[in-house]
Amino acid sequence: MEITYKQLYMLPQTVGHYVSHENASYYKQNLIKVDKKADIPVGTYACGIVSYYCAECGYKLVKLSIFLPVRDKEQYDDVVYFHNGEMDDFLNK
Amino acid sequence: MEEKIKKINIVYLLGSIFAPILICLVCFAISAKFFPKGTGAVILIMVPPAIAFVWWTFGLSMVFKNRTKNFEKELDGMKFNRNQTFYGKGKTVIIDLEQGKLGIIFFWNPFKTYILPASRIEKAWVDDGKGGAGFLEGSSRVSFLFIVDGIKVRVDTFTSNQRFRMDSNYILTGISKADMMVKMIEEARSKSK
Repeated sequence: MEITYKQLYMLPQTVGHYVSHENASYYKQNLIKVDKKADIPVGTYACGIVSYYCAECGYKLVKLSIFLPVRDKEQYDDVVYFHNGEMDDFLNK
Repeated sequence: MEEKIKKINIVYLLGSIFAPILICLVCFAISAKFFPKGTGAVILIMVPPAIAFVWWTFGLSMVFKNRTKNFEKELDGMKFNRNQTFYGKGKTVIIDLEQGKLGIIFFWNPFKTYILPASRIEKAWVDDGKGGAGFLEGSSRVSFLFIVDGIKVRVDTFTSNQRFRMDSNYILTGISKADMMVKMIEEARSKSK
């Protein structure tokens, strides 16, 4: 599987109030692109998106890793996978 | 001269603890003198201690919760923007970032609420409670602290009777909450007149 896309986003949810979402439309509406972790306000969640593509079978997978950046550490809360191209339009914007 | 904050109302603290004991003793005395047997004795001996137990277990925290709710309503009526509220153990801190103000209410002084300009806060910082060495390194308490009028206020964001590693989710969440509150206090201070 090769990585075709990798980007860090800010997820506007604050510490202590995280609610898990499985719906791609939630992420499309709320994720804000950032360049680095330092751009995310203290106590706000981050989301790392990685898109994978298998050249042999043509399988595509998008992985969303939701974590809370705390100083120099990361506290992972959730991982959401999209297997059917639900995030494609968002990633290709 | 602005009023200094008072974390504990001694009359309320002592009254909450000792008044139920006093009432129980009076009831026991009445029972011994006038109702040594029968329903009267059962009521006077059993009911006051039961009420005292309920008061100590639930009553005090209910008073604090209700007072906090009322305080929030008062703040809303005063156009205080409740940008961030932290319900700590024993105290609630509410921050208005736009006006640079802080609202505080204490568990042991619930009938007195404080709304103060954030400029009165001399210092705010995070205490991650880190202790121990090597594999024993960890923490059982994370808090943010601030000094108002020379009085230190500590608000716990995480407490436990066990020690957790510094990279555990509990500690990291506690640090994140404390960092966020300190940052907001600093921001409110910068906007306060």
